[in-house]
Amino acid sequence: MMEALTTMAYRQLKRFIRARSRVLGMVINPLIWLVFFGLGWSRVFDNPMAKMIFGGVDYLTFLAPGIFAMTVFNMSFIAGVSVIWDKQFGFLKEVLVAPASRKGSILGRIIGDSLVTLAQGAIILVLTYPLAESLKLSGFLPALGVGFLLSMAFSGFGVSLALKMESMEGFQMVMMVLMLPLTFLSGAIYPIDTMPGWMKALAYINPLTYAVDGARHFLVGASVAKFSLGVDLGVLTVLAALLVGLAMTEFERATIG
Amino acid sequence: MSEAIVVENLVKKYGDFEAVKGVSFKVKQGEIFAFLGPNGAGKTTTVHVLTTLLRPTAGRAVVAGHDVVEEPMEVRKRIGIVFQDPSLDRELTAWENMYIHGRIYGLKGNELREKMERLLKFVELWEFKDKPVKTFSGGMQRRLEIARSLLHEPEVLFLDEPTIGLDPQTRAHIWDYIRAMKEEHNMTIFLTTHYMDEAEMLADRIAIIDHGKIIAEGTAEELKKLVGNDVIYLKLEAPEELKCLQGEFIRGCKVLPDGRVALEVENAAEALPGLFELANERGIRILEVTYHRPTLNDVFLHLTGREIRDESPENPMASFVRMRMRRR
Repeated sequence: MMEALTTMAYRQLKRFIRARSRVLGMVINPLIWLVFFGLGWSRVFDNPMAKMIFGGVDYLTFLAPGIFAMTVFNMSFIAGVSVIWDKQFGFLKEVLVAPASRKGSILGRIIGDSLVTLAQGAIILVLTYPLAESLKLSGFLPALGVGFLLSMAFSGFGVSLALKMESMEGFQMVMMVLMLPLTFLSGAIYPIDTMPGWMKALAYINPLTYAVDGARHFLVGASVAKFSLGVDLGVLTVLAALLVGLAMTEFERATIG
Repeated sequence: MSEAIVVENLVKKYGDFEAVKGVSFKVKQGEIFAFLGPNGAGKTTTVHVLTTLLRPTAGRAVVAGHDVVEEPMEVRKRIGIVFQDPSLDRELTAWENMYIHGRIYGLKGNELREKMERLLKFVELWEFKDKPVKTFSGGMQRRLEIARSLLHEPEVLFLDEPTIGLDPQTRAHIWDYIRAMKEEHNMTIFLTTHYMDEAEMLADRIAIIDHGKIIAEGTAEELKKLVGNDVIYLKLEAPEELKCLQGEFIRGCKVLPDGRVALEVENAAEALPGLFELANERGIRILEVTYHRPTLNDVFLHLTGREIRDESPENPMASFVRMRMRRR
Protein backbone atom coordinates (compact mmCIF):
# COMPACT_ATOMS: atom_id res chain seq x y z
CA MET A 1 0.00 0.00 0.00
CA MET A 2 2.70 2.50 1.03
CA GLU A 3 4.86 1.67 -2.00
CA ALA A 4 2.01 2.34 -4.40
CA LEU A 5 1.04 5.48 -2.52
CA THR A 6 4.46 7.08 -2.44
CA THR A 7 5.24 6.04 -6.01
CA MET A 8 2.11 7.58 -7.44
CA ALA A 9 2.54 10.74 -5.37
CA TYR A 10 6.10 10.87 -6.72
CA ARG A 11 4.74 10.57 -10.25
CA GLN A 12 2.36 13.50 -9.82
CA LEU A 13 5.10 15.68 -8.38
CA LYS A 14 7.48 14.69 -11.17
CA ARG A 15 4.87 15.56 -13.75
CA PHE A 16 4.40 18.91 -12.06
CA ILE A 17 8.12 19.65 -12.14
CA ARG A 18 8.31 18.51 -15.77
CA ALA A 19 5.42 20.75 -16.81
CA ARG A 20 5.88 23.49 -14.26
CA SER A 21 5.61 26.40 -16.67
CA ARG A 22 2.21 25.12 -17.80
CA VAL A 23 1.02 24.40 -14.29
CA LEU A 24 2.21 27.74 -13.01
CA GLY A 25 0.51 29.36 -15.97
CA MET A 26 -2.73 28.10 -14.54
CA VAL A 27 -2.50 30.61 -11.67
CA ILE A 28 -2.86 33.39 -14.21
CA ASN A 29 -6.61 32.89 -14.29
CA PRO A 30 -7.19 33.46 -10.55
CA LEU A 31 -4.74 36.34 -10.72
CA ILE A 32 -6.91 37.98 -13.36
CA TRP A 33 -9.88 37.62 -11.04
CA LEU A 34 -8.00 39.11 -8.18
CA VAL A 35 -6.58 42.07 -10.02
CA PHE A 36 -9.15 43.01 -12.64
CA PHE A 37 -12.23 41.91 -10.80
CA GLY A 38 -11.09 42.51 -7.23
CA LEU A 39 -9.13 45.72 -7.67
CA GLY A 40 -11.84 47.15 -9.92
CA TRP A 41 -14.68 46.56 -7.47
CA SER A 42 -12.59 47.48 -4.45
CA ARG A 43 -12.78 51.14 -5.56
CA VAL A 44 -16.57 50.96 -5.90
CA PHE A 45 -16.88 49.39 -2.46
CA ASP A 46 -14.49 51.84 -0.81
CA ASN A 47 -17.13 53.29 1.55
CA PRO A 48 -18.33 52.48 5.11
CA MET A 49 -21.66 51.00 3.90
CA ALA A 50 -19.97 48.47 1.66
CA LYS A 51 -17.38 47.60 4.26
CA MET A 52 -20.22 46.71 6.62
CA ILE A 53 -21.63 44.32 4.03
CA PHE A 54 -18.24 42.64 3.72
CA GLY A 55 -17.86 42.15 7.46
CA GLY A 56 -15.97 45.35 8.14
CA VAL A 57 -13.04 44.81 5.84
CA ASP A 58 -12.13 46.19 2.42
CA TYR A 59 -13.36 44.24 -0.60
CA LEU A 60 -9.99 42.77 -1.61
CA THR A 61 -9.48 41.39 1.87
CA PHE A 62 -12.95 39.89 1.69
CA LEU A 63 -12.32 38.48 -1.78
CA ALA A 64 -8.78 37.12 -1.27
CA PRO A 65 -9.66 33.96 0.73
CA GLY A 66 -12.39 33.33 -1.83
CA ILE A 67 -9.97 33.52 -4.75
CA PHE A 68 -7.55 31.26 -2.89
CA ALA A 69 -10.28 28.66 -2.30
CA MET A 70 -11.47 29.02 -5.89
CA THR A 71 -7.94 28.39 -7.17
CA VAL A 72 -7.51 25.30 -5.05
CA PHE A 73 -10.97 24.05 -6.02
CA ASN A 74 -10.41 24.55 -9.76
CA MET A 75 -6.89 23.16 -9.84
CA SER A 76 -7.61 20.11 -7.71
CA PHE A 77 -10.74 19.27 -9.66
CA ILE A 78 -8.88 19.54 -12.97
CA ALA A 79 -6.04 17.43 -11.55
CA GLY A 80 -8.45 14.73 -10.42
CA VAL A 81 -10.34 14.67 -13.68
CA SER A 82 -7.02 14.37 -15.53
CA VAL A 83 -7.18 10.64 -14.77
CA ILE A 84 -9.11 10.70 -18.02
CA TRP A 85 -5.85 11.53 -19.81
CA ASP A 86 -4.26 8.47 -18.26
CA LYS A 87 -7.17 6.53 -19.68
CA GLN A 88 -6.61 8.18 -23.06
CA PHE A 89 -2.84 7.74 -23.15
CA GLY A 90 -2.95 4.27 -21.65
CA PHE A 91 -0.96 4.82 -18.47
CA LEU A 92 -4.04 3.79 -16.49
CA LYS A 93 -3.66 0.21 -17.76
CA GLU A 94 -0.09 0.11 -16.49
CA VAL A 95 -1.37 0.97 -13.01
CA LEU A 96 -4.37 -1.35 -13.14
CA VAL A 97 -2.33 -4.38 -14.17
CA ALA A 98 0.27 -3.86 -11.43
CA PRO A 99 0.23 -6.06 -8.33
CA ALA A 100 0.11 -2.96 -6.15
CA SER A 101 -2.72 -1.81 -3.92
CA ARG A 102 -5.07 0.12 -6.16
CA LYS A 103 -6.43 2.03 -3.18
CA GLY A 104 -2.87 3.01 -2.35
CA SER A 105 -2.13 4.04 -5.94
CA ILE A 106 -5.08 6.35 -6.26
CA LEU A 107 -4.67 7.78 -2.76
CA GLY A 108 -1.05 8.53 -3.63
CA ARG A 109 -2.15 10.22 -6.78
CA ILE A 110 -4.72 12.35 -4.96
CA ILE A 111 -2.16 13.34 -2.32
CA GLY A 112 0.39 14.18 -5.02
CA ASP A 113 -2.16 16.28 -6.88
CA SER A 114 -3.13 18.03 -3.67
CA LEU A 115 0.48 18.95 -2.96
CA VAL A 116 0.80 20.39 -6.47
CA THR A 117 -2.46 22.26 -5.99
CA LEU A 118 -1.24 23.66 -2.71
CA ALA A 119 1.85 25.00 -4.44
CA GLN A 120 -0.42 26.83 -6.84
CA GLY A 121 -2.63 28.07 -4.00
CA ALA A 122 0.44 29.26 -2.09
CA ILE A 123 1.60 31.27 -5.08
CA ILE A 124 -1.78 32.98 -5.31
CA LEU A 125 -1.72 33.78 -1.58
CA VAL A 126 1.76 35.24 -1.80
CA LEU A 127 0.68 37.46 -4.68
CA THR A 128 -2.44 38.46 -2.77
CA TYR A 129 -0.77 39.83 0.36
CA PRO A 130 0.49 43.07 -1.21
CA LEU A 131 -2.98 43.79 -2.66
CA ALA A 132 -5.25 43.07 0.28
CA GLU A 133 -4.37 45.34 3.14
CA SER A 134 -5.64 43.44 6.19
CA LEU A 135 -4.78 39.80 5.45
CA LYS A 136 -3.09 38.07 8.36
CA LEU A 137 0.34 36.69 7.67
CA SER A 138 -0.17 34.18 10.46
CA GLY A 139 -3.10 32.75 8.53
CA PHE A 140 -0.93 31.59 5.63
CA LEU A 141 -0.12 28.07 6.81
CA PRO A 142 -3.51 27.27 8.38
CA ALA A 143 -5.18 28.49 5.18
CA LEU A 144 -3.03 26.06 3.23
CA GLY A 145 -4.33 23.38 5.58
CA VAL A 146 -7.90 24.29 4.63
CA GLY A 147 -6.80 24.25 1.01
CA PHE A 148 -5.36 20.75 1.45
CA LEU A 149 -8.67 19.37 2.74
CA LEU A 150 -10.54 21.05 -0.10
CA SER A 151 -8.03 19.77 -2.61
CA MET A 152 -8.22 16.19 -1.37
CA ALA A 153 -12.01 16.35 -1.60
CA PHE A 154 -12.16 17.67 -5.15
CA SER A 155 -9.25 15.61 -6.52
CA GLY A 156 -11.11 12.59 -5.20
CA PHE A 157 -14.34 13.77 -6.75
CA GLY A 158 -12.59 14.45 -10.06
CA VAL A 159 -11.06 10.97 -10.09
CA SER A 160 -14.42 9.27 -9.49
CA LEU A 161 -16.00 11.38 -12.20
CA ALA A 162 -13.22 10.67 -14.71
CA LEU A 163 -13.47 6.93 -14.10
CA LYS A 164 -17.16 7.11 -14.97
CA MET A 165 -16.75 9.33 -17.99
CA GLU A 166 -16.50 7.88 -21.47
CA SER A 167 -15.50 10.88 -23.53
CA MET A 168 -13.61 14.12 -23.48
CA GLU A 169 -16.75 15.97 -24.58
CA GLY A 170 -18.42 15.00 -21.32
CA PHE A 171 -15.40 16.35 -19.50
CA GLN A 172 -15.83 19.84 -21.01
CA MET A 173 -19.51 19.79 -20.13
CA VAL A 174 -18.94 18.92 -16.49
CA MET A 175 -16.31 21.62 -16.10
CA MET A 176 -18.67 24.24 -17.48
CA VAL A 177 -21.64 23.15 -15.44
CA LEU A 178 -19.81 22.73 -12.15
CA MET A 179 -16.98 25.15 -11.79
CA LEU A 180 -18.41 28.63 -12.22
CA PRO A 181 -21.73 28.08 -10.39
CA LEU A 182 -19.99 26.49 -7.41
CA THR A 183 -17.66 29.48 -7.26
CA PHE A 184 -20.50 32.02 -7.37
CA LEU A 185 -22.49 30.06 -4.80
CA SER A 186 -19.67 29.84 -2.28
CA GLY A 187 -19.66 33.31 -0.81
CA ALA A 188 -16.23 33.86 -2.34
CA ILE A 189 -17.25 36.93 -4.32
CA TYR A 190 -20.24 38.31 -2.39
CA PRO A 191 -21.62 37.43 1.05
CA ILE A 192 -24.10 34.60 1.46
CA ASP A 193 -26.31 36.61 3.81
CA THR A 194 -27.53 38.97 1.10
CA MET A 195 -28.34 36.19 -1.39
CA PRO A 196 -31.96 35.34 -2.24
CA GLY A 197 -33.31 32.42 -0.23
CA TRP A 198 -32.95 29.75 -2.92
CA MET A 199 -29.38 30.75 -3.63
CA LYS A 200 -28.60 30.73 0.04
CA ALA A 201 -29.92 27.18 0.25
CA LEU A 202 -27.59 26.14 -2.59
CA ALA A 203 -24.68 27.94 -0.96
CA TYR A 204 -25.25 25.99 2.25
CA ILE A 205 -24.93 22.66 0.49
CA ASN A 206 -21.96 23.82 -1.57
CA PRO A 207 -18.76 22.36 -0.07
CA LEU A 208 -16.72 25.24 -1.43
CA THR A 209 -18.64 27.58 0.91
CA TYR A 210 -17.00 25.97 3.93
CA ALA A 211 -13.53 26.18 2.44
CA VAL A 212 -13.98 29.89 1.66
CA ASP A 213 -15.29 30.43 5.17
CA GLY A 214 -12.49 28.42 6.75
CA ALA A 215 -9.88 30.34 4.80
CA ARG A 216 -11.50 33.62 5.96
CA HIS A 217 -11.25 32.51 9.56
CA PHE A 218 -7.51 32.16 9.27
CA LEU A 219 -6.66 34.89 6.78
CA VAL A 220 -9.01 37.64 7.98
CA GLY A 221 -10.61 36.69 11.27
CA ALA A 222 -13.68 35.13 12.84
CA SER A 223 -15.64 38.39 12.49
CA VAL A 224 -15.94 38.06 8.70
CA ALA A 225 -16.69 34.32 8.79
CA LYS A 226 -20.21 32.98 8.66
CA PHE A 227 -19.82 29.63 10.38
CA SER A 228 -17.67 28.55 13.27
CA LEU A 229 -14.23 27.21 12.44
CA GLY A 230 -15.28 23.82 13.82
CA VAL A 231 -18.16 23.59 11.35
CA ASP A 232 -15.95 24.60 8.41
CA LEU A 233 -13.18 22.15 9.22
CA GLY A 234 -15.64 19.42 10.19
CA VAL A 235 -17.57 19.66 6.92
CA LEU A 236 -14.37 19.71 4.86
CA THR A 237 -12.82 16.78 6.70
CA VAL A 238 -15.91 14.60 6.38
CA LEU A 239 -16.30 15.56 2.75
CA ALA A 240 -12.66 14.86 1.92
CA ALA A 241 -12.86 11.48 3.66
CA LEU A 242 -16.05 10.57 1.79
CA LEU A 243 -14.90 11.68 -1.65
CA VAL A 244 -11.42 10.19 -1.34
CA GLY A 245 -13.02 6.98 -0.05
CA LEU A 246 -15.36 6.95 -3.04
CA ALA A 247 -12.44 7.44 -5.44
CA MET A 248 -10.56 4.57 -3.79
CA THR A 249 -13.57 2.26 -4.06
CA GLU A 250 -14.20 3.22 -7.67
CA PHE A 251 -10.56 2.71 -8.58
CA GLU A 252 -10.46 -0.67 -6.87
CA ARG A 253 -13.31 -1.79 -9.13
CA ALA A 254 -12.06 -0.15 -12.30
CA THR A 255 -11.64 -2.26 -15.41
CA ILE A 256 -10.71 -1.14 -18.87
CA GLY A 257 -12.70 -0.89 -22.08
CA MET B 1 3.89 -26.88 -13.17
CA SER B 2 4.41 -27.39 -16.87
CA GLU B 3 1.53 -25.29 -18.12
CA ALA B 4 1.94 -21.53 -17.88
CA ILE B 5 -1.54 -20.72 -19.17
CA VAL B 6 -4.67 -22.87 -19.13
CA VAL B 7 -7.84 -21.46 -20.63
CA GLU B 8 -11.14 -23.32 -20.64
CA ASN B 9 -14.22 -22.19 -22.53
CA LEU B 10 -13.49 -18.54 -22.04
CA VAL B 11 -16.38 -16.23 -22.98
CA LYS B 12 -16.41 -12.44 -22.89
CA LYS B 13 -19.51 -10.47 -23.81
CA TYR B 14 -19.95 -6.72 -24.10
CA GLY B 15 -23.68 -6.37 -23.70
CA ASP B 16 -25.12 -8.51 -26.46
CA PHE B 17 -21.89 -8.65 -28.37
CA GLU B 18 -19.80 -11.74 -27.84
CA ALA B 19 -16.15 -10.78 -28.39
CA VAL B 20 -14.74 -14.12 -27.26
CA LYS B 21 -16.98 -17.11 -27.86
CA GLY B 22 -15.60 -19.89 -25.74
CA VAL B 23 -11.92 -20.42 -26.40
CA SER B 24 -9.79 -23.15 -24.82
CA PHE B 25 -6.04 -23.60 -25.08
CA LYS B 26 -2.94 -24.36 -23.09
CA VAL B 27 0.47 -22.74 -23.21
CA LYS B 28 3.45 -24.70 -21.97
CA GLN B 29 6.11 -23.16 -19.81
CA GLY B 30 8.95 -21.64 -21.80
CA GLU B 31 6.96 -21.61 -25.00
CA ILE B 32 6.14 -18.75 -27.35
CA PHE B 33 2.47 -19.08 -28.17
CA ALA B 34 0.87 -16.82 -30.76
CA PHE B 35 -2.72 -15.79 -31.22
CA LEU B 36 -2.97 -15.07 -34.93
CA GLY B 37 -6.06 -13.42 -36.33
CA PRO B 38 -7.46 -10.35 -38.01
CA ASN B 39 -8.21 -7.14 -36.14
CA GLY B 40 -11.28 -7.56 -34.00
CA ALA B 41 -10.97 -11.34 -33.72
CA GLY B 42 -10.97 -11.17 -29.92
CA LYS B 43 -7.20 -11.26 -29.36
CA THR B 44 -6.88 -8.18 -27.21
CA THR B 45 -10.01 -9.03 -25.24
CA THR B 46 -8.48 -12.42 -24.42
CA VAL B 47 -5.24 -10.77 -23.34
CA HIS B 48 -7.14 -8.36 -21.11
CA VAL B 49 -8.97 -11.24 -19.45
CA LEU B 50 -5.75 -13.19 -18.96
CA THR B 51 -4.03 -10.15 -17.46
CA THR B 52 -6.92 -9.58 -14.98
CA LEU B 53 -8.04 -6.32 -16.55
CA LEU B 54 -11.39 -7.69 -17.67
CA ARG B 55 -13.62 -10.21 -15.94
CA PRO B 56 -14.63 -13.09 -18.16
CA THR B 57 -18.36 -13.61 -18.70
CA ALA B 58 -17.88 -17.38 -18.43
CA GLY B 59 -15.13 -19.94 -18.42
CA ARG B 60 -11.88 -20.21 -16.55
CA ALA B 61 -8.34 -19.00 -17.03
CA VAL B 62 -5.30 -19.95 -14.99
CA VAL B 63 -2.12 -17.95 -15.55
CA ALA B 64 1.18 -18.81 -13.86
CA GLY B 65 -0.67 -21.20 -11.60
CA HIS B 66 -3.37 -18.83 -10.39
CA ASP B 67 -6.95 -18.21 -11.43
CA VAL B 68 -7.37 -14.77 -12.97
CA VAL B 69 -10.72 -14.16 -11.26
CA GLU B 70 -10.04 -15.77 -7.88
CA GLU B 71 -6.48 -14.53 -7.36
CA PRO B 72 -5.85 -11.55 -9.62
CA MET B 73 -3.10 -10.19 -7.34
CA GLU B 74 -1.12 -13.43 -7.55
CA VAL B 75 -1.46 -13.39 -11.34
CA ARG B 76 -0.42 -9.73 -11.57
CA LYS B 77 2.77 -10.40 -9.63
CA ARG B 78 3.83 -13.06 -12.12
CA ILE B 79 3.00 -11.47 -15.46
CA GLY B 80 4.36 -8.71 -17.61
CA ILE B 81 2.50 -7.06 -20.45
CA VAL B 82 3.14 -4.84 -23.41
CA PHE B 83 -0.22 -3.44 -24.41
CA GLN B 84 -1.26 -2.90 -27.99
CA ASP B 85 -1.73 0.83 -27.38
CA PRO B 86 1.02 2.82 -25.68
CA SER B 87 0.83 2.87 -21.89
CA LEU B 88 3.77 5.08 -20.97
CA ASP B 89 3.64 8.38 -19.15
CA ARG B 90 4.64 10.64 -22.01
CA GLU B 91 5.50 13.59 -19.79
CA LEU B 92 8.11 11.63 -17.88
CA THR B 93 11.51 10.34 -18.98
CA ALA B 94 12.36 6.75 -19.88
CA TRP B 95 14.18 6.44 -16.57
CA GLU B 96 11.23 7.75 -14.57
CA ASN B 97 8.80 5.43 -16.35
CA MET B 98 11.03 2.48 -15.50
CA TYR B 99 11.51 3.67 -11.94
CA ILE B 100 7.78 4.05 -11.29
CA HIS B 101 7.14 0.60 -12.69
CA GLY B 102 9.85 -0.92 -10.54
CA ARG B 103 8.54 0.74 -7.41
CA ILE B 104 4.93 -0.32 -7.86
CA TYR B 105 6.16 -3.85 -8.45
CA GLY B 106 8.00 -3.72 -5.14
CA LEU B 107 11.58 -3.25 -6.35
CA LYS B 108 13.89 -0.65 -4.90
CA GLY B 109 17.39 0.58 -4.22
CA ASN B 110 20.44 -0.75 -6.00
CA GLU B 111 18.67 -3.86 -7.21
CA LEU B 112 16.15 -1.71 -9.07
CA ARG B 113 18.78 0.63 -10.47
CA GLU B 114 20.93 -2.23 -11.72
CA LYS B 115 17.99 -3.92 -13.43
CA MET B 116 16.91 -0.65 -15.00
CA GLU B 117 20.38 -0.05 -16.37
CA ARG B 118 20.71 -3.58 -17.74
CA LEU B 119 17.30 -3.48 -19.45
CA LEU B 120 17.64 0.03 -20.84
CA LYS B 121 20.91 -1.10 -22.36
CA PHE B 122 19.29 -4.32 -23.61
CA VAL B 123 16.75 -2.30 -25.64
CA GLU B 124 19.41 0.26 -26.57
CA LEU B 125 17.77 3.21 -24.87
CA TRP B 126 20.39 3.87 -22.22
CA GLU B 127 21.63 7.07 -23.84
CA PHE B 128 18.05 8.37 -24.06
CA LYS B 129 17.13 7.54 -20.50
CA ASP B 130 16.72 11.16 -19.41
CA LYS B 131 14.67 12.24 -22.41
CA PRO B 132 10.88 12.63 -22.04
CA VAL B 133 8.99 9.78 -23.65
CA LYS B 134 6.95 12.16 -25.78
CA THR B 135 10.09 12.84 -27.82
CA PHE B 136 10.49 9.11 -28.60
CA SER B 137 9.61 7.48 -31.92
CA GLY B 138 7.03 4.68 -31.97
CA GLY B 139 9.77 2.08 -32.08
CA MET B 140 11.62 3.59 -29.12
CA GLN B 141 8.43 3.68 -27.09
CA ARG B 142 7.81 0.03 -27.87
CA ARG B 143 11.34 -0.88 -26.82
CA LEU B 144 10.91 1.02 -23.59
CA GLU B 145 7.65 -0.79 -22.92
CA ILE B 146 9.38 -4.11 -23.52
CA ALA B 147 12.18 -3.18 -21.11
CA ARG B 148 9.61 -2.04 -18.57
CA SER B 149 7.61 -5.25 -18.84
CA LEU B 150 10.75 -7.28 -18.06
CA LEU B 151 11.80 -5.25 -15.04
CA HIS B 152 10.05 -7.43 -12.46
CA GLU B 153 11.10 -10.66 -14.23
CA PRO B 154 7.66 -12.02 -15.04
CA GLU B 155 7.04 -15.73 -15.49
CA VAL B 156 4.63 -15.08 -18.32
CA LEU B 157 4.95 -12.19 -20.71
CA PHE B 158 2.03 -10.91 -22.79
CA LEU B 159 2.81 -9.04 -25.99
CA ASP B 160 -0.30 -7.63 -27.64
CA GLU B 161 0.56 -6.82 -31.26
CA PRO B 162 4.13 -5.90 -30.33
CA THR B 163 5.13 -4.59 -33.75
CA ILE B 164 1.90 -3.00 -34.95
CA GLY B 165 2.52 0.19 -36.86
CA LEU B 166 6.31 -0.13 -36.84
CA ASP B 167 8.61 -0.03 -39.84
CA PRO B 168 10.16 -3.32 -41.05
CA GLN B 169 13.58 -2.62 -39.61
CA THR B 170 12.23 -1.87 -36.16
CA ARG B 171 10.01 -4.94 -36.34
CA ALA B 172 12.98 -7.18 -37.03
CA HIS B 173 14.75 -5.54 -34.12
CA ILE B 174 11.91 -6.26 -31.75
CA TRP B 175 11.76 -9.86 -32.91
CA ASP B 176 15.40 -10.18 -31.92
CA TYR B 177 14.59 -8.94 -28.42
CA ILE B 178 11.71 -11.36 -28.10
CA ARG B 179 13.88 -14.31 -29.13
CA ALA B 180 16.62 -13.18 -26.77
CA MET B 181 14.15 -12.95 -23.89
CA LYS B 182 13.00 -16.47 -24.48
CA GLU B 183 16.50 -17.84 -24.73
CA GLU B 184 17.97 -15.98 -21.79
CA HIS B 185 15.13 -16.36 -19.33
CA ASN B 186 13.18 -19.34 -20.62
CA MET B 187 10.18 -17.07 -20.35
CA THR B 188 6.71 -18.06 -21.46
CA ILE B 189 5.48 -15.57 -24.03
CA PHE B 190 1.91 -15.11 -25.16
CA LEU B 191 1.88 -13.08 -28.33
CA THR B 192 -1.00 -11.73 -30.37
CA THR B 193 -0.50 -10.59 -33.91
CA HIS B 194 -2.22 -10.15 -37.21
CA TYR B 195 1.12 -10.47 -39.02
CA MET B 196 1.60 -14.00 -40.31
CA ASP B 197 5.35 -13.59 -40.67
CA GLU B 198 5.55 -12.56 -37.04
CA ALA B 199 3.68 -15.61 -35.82
CA GLU B 200 5.72 -17.86 -38.07
CA MET B 201 9.09 -16.37 -37.14
CA LEU B 202 8.55 -16.30 -33.40
CA ALA B 203 5.98 -18.77 -32.22
CA ASP B 204 6.47 -22.37 -31.20
CA ARG B 205 2.76 -22.87 -31.51
CA ILE B 206 0.03 -20.80 -33.13
CA ALA B 207 -3.70 -20.59 -32.54
CA ILE B 208 -5.64 -19.00 -35.35
CA ILE B 209 -8.53 -16.99 -33.99
CA ASP B 210 -11.40 -15.50 -35.92
CA HIS B 211 -14.69 -14.02 -34.75
CA GLY B 212 -13.90 -14.90 -31.15
CA LYS B 213 -13.19 -18.57 -31.82
CA ILE B 214 -10.02 -20.60 -32.25
CA ILE B 215 -10.35 -22.23 -35.62
CA ALA B 216 -7.02 -24.05 -35.73
CA GLU B 217 -4.05 -24.66 -33.49
CA GLY B 218 -0.60 -26.17 -33.92
CA THR B 219 2.92 -25.42 -35.09
CA ALA B 220 3.27 -23.41 -38.29
CA GLU B 221 4.10 -26.63 -40.14
CA GLU B 222 1.11 -28.47 -38.74
CA LEU B 223 -1.18 -25.62 -39.71
CA LYS B 224 0.15 -25.49 -43.24
CA LYS B 225 -0.59 -29.18 -43.61
CA LEU B 226 -4.24 -28.28 -43.14
CA VAL B 227 -4.10 -26.67 -46.54
CA GLY B 228 -1.63 -29.19 -47.86
CA ASN B 229 -1.73 -27.81 -51.35
CA ASP B 230 0.03 -25.15 -53.32
CA VAL B 231 -2.11 -22.22 -54.36
CA ILE B 232 -2.18 -20.66 -57.81
CA TYR B 233 -3.51 -17.12 -58.05
CA LEU B 234 -4.98 -16.18 -61.41
CA LYS B 235 -6.24 -12.97 -62.87
CA LEU B 236 -8.67 -14.03 -65.59
CA GLU B 237 -10.65 -12.39 -68.30
CA ALA B 238 -13.78 -14.46 -67.97
CA PRO B 239 -17.40 -14.23 -66.93
CA GLU B 240 -17.90 -14.56 -63.17
CA GLU B 241 -19.54 -18.00 -63.36
CA LEU B 242 -16.68 -19.46 -65.40
CA LYS B 243 -13.95 -18.16 -63.14
CA CYS B 244 -13.81 -21.26 -60.99
CA LEU B 245 -12.02 -23.64 -63.34
CA GLN B 246 -12.85 -27.31 -63.04
CA GLY B 247 -10.21 -29.95 -63.61
CA GLU B 248 -9.09 -33.22 -62.10
CA PHE B 249 -5.88 -31.69 -60.72
CA ILE B 250 -7.72 -28.80 -59.11
CA ARG B 251 -8.49 -29.50 -55.46
CA GLY B 252 -10.36 -26.33 -54.63
CA CYS B 253 -11.27 -22.98 -56.01
CA LYS B 254 -12.27 -19.65 -54.55
CA VAL B 255 -12.92 -16.25 -56.10
CA LEU B 256 -11.29 -13.59 -53.93
CA PRO B 257 -12.96 -10.25 -53.19
CA ASP B 258 -10.49 -8.48 -55.48
CA GLY B 259 -11.61 -10.66 -58.39
CA ARG B 260 -8.61 -12.95 -58.48
CA VAL B 261 -9.11 -16.71 -58.42
CA ALA B 262 -7.29 -18.95 -55.95
CA LEU B 263 -6.82 -22.56 -57.05
CA GLU B 264 -5.53 -25.24 -54.73
CA VAL B 265 -3.33 -27.82 -56.46
CA GLU B 266 -0.88 -30.40 -55.16
CA ASN B 267 2.08 -29.08 -57.09
CA ALA B 268 1.79 -25.73 -58.74
CA ALA B 269 4.83 -26.09 -61.00
CA GLU B 270 3.44 -29.26 -62.57
CA ALA B 271 -0.13 -28.03 -62.71
CA LEU B 272 0.55 -24.82 -64.61
CA PRO B 273 0.86 -26.24 -68.16
CA GLY B 274 -2.39 -28.17 -67.68
CA LEU B 275 -4.03 -25.06 -66.41
CA PHE B 276 -3.09 -23.07 -69.50
CA GLU B 277 -4.50 -25.84 -71.71
CA LEU B 278 -7.70 -25.89 -69.70
CA ALA B 279 -8.10 -22.14 -70.01
CA ASN B 280 -7.43 -22.32 -73.74
CA GLU B 281 -10.13 -24.96 -74.21
CA ARG B 282 -12.69 -22.81 -72.41
CA GLY B 283 -11.63 -19.66 -74.21
CA ILE B 284 -10.56 -17.98 -70.98
CA ARG B 285 -7.69 -15.54 -71.15
CA ILE B 286 -5.17 -15.68 -68.31
CA LEU B 287 -3.86 -12.18 -67.54
CA GLU B 288 -1.63 -12.93 -64.59
CA VAL B 289 -0.34 -16.00 -62.77
CA THR B 290 1.41 -16.29 -59.45
CA TYR B 291 1.74 -19.28 -57.17
CA HIS B 292 3.22 -20.12 -53.86
CA ARG B 293 3.64 -22.79 -51.25
CA PRO B 294 1.11 -22.61 -48.42
CA THR B 295 1.56 -19.83 -45.91
CA LEU B 296 -0.41 -19.12 -42.80
CA ASN B 297 -2.46 -16.69 -44.84
CA ASP B 298 -3.58 -19.58 -47.03
CA VAL B 299 -4.45 -21.53 -43.93
CA PHE B 300 -6.59 -18.65 -42.80
CA LEU B 301 -8.10 -18.29 -46.23
CA HIS B 302 -8.77 -22.01 -46.37
CA LEU B 303 -10.51 -21.95 -43.00
CA THR B 304 -12.48 -18.74 -43.31
CA GLY B 305 -12.67 -17.80 -46.98
CA ARG B 306 -11.12 -14.43 -46.16
CA GLU B 307 -7.64 -12.99 -46.06
CA ILE B 308 -6.25 -12.31 -42.64
CA ARG B 309 -5.94 -8.57 -43.14
CA ASP B 310 -9.50 -8.33 -44.29
CA GLU B 311 -10.86 -5.25 -42.61
CA SER B 312 -13.79 -4.65 -44.89
CA PRO B 313 -16.76 -2.80 -43.44
CA GLU B 314 -18.89 -5.93 -43.62
CA ASN B 315 -16.68 -7.40 -40.94
CA PRO B 316 -18.74 -6.51 -37.88
CA MET B 317 -15.97 -7.26 -35.40
CA ALA B 318 -13.55 -4.84 -36.98
CA SER B 319 -16.01 -2.00 -37.05
CA PHE B 320 -17.06 -2.80 -33.51
CA VAL B 321 -13.50 -2.51 -32.34
CA ARG B 322 -12.98 0.73 -34.22
CA MET B 323 -16.11 2.08 -32.63
CA ARG B 324 -14.81 1.16 -29.21
CA MET B 325 -11.47 2.77 -29.96
CA ARG B 326 -13.14 6.01 -30.90
CA ARG B 327 -15.29 5.95 -27.82
CA ARG B 328 -12.30 5.86 -25.55
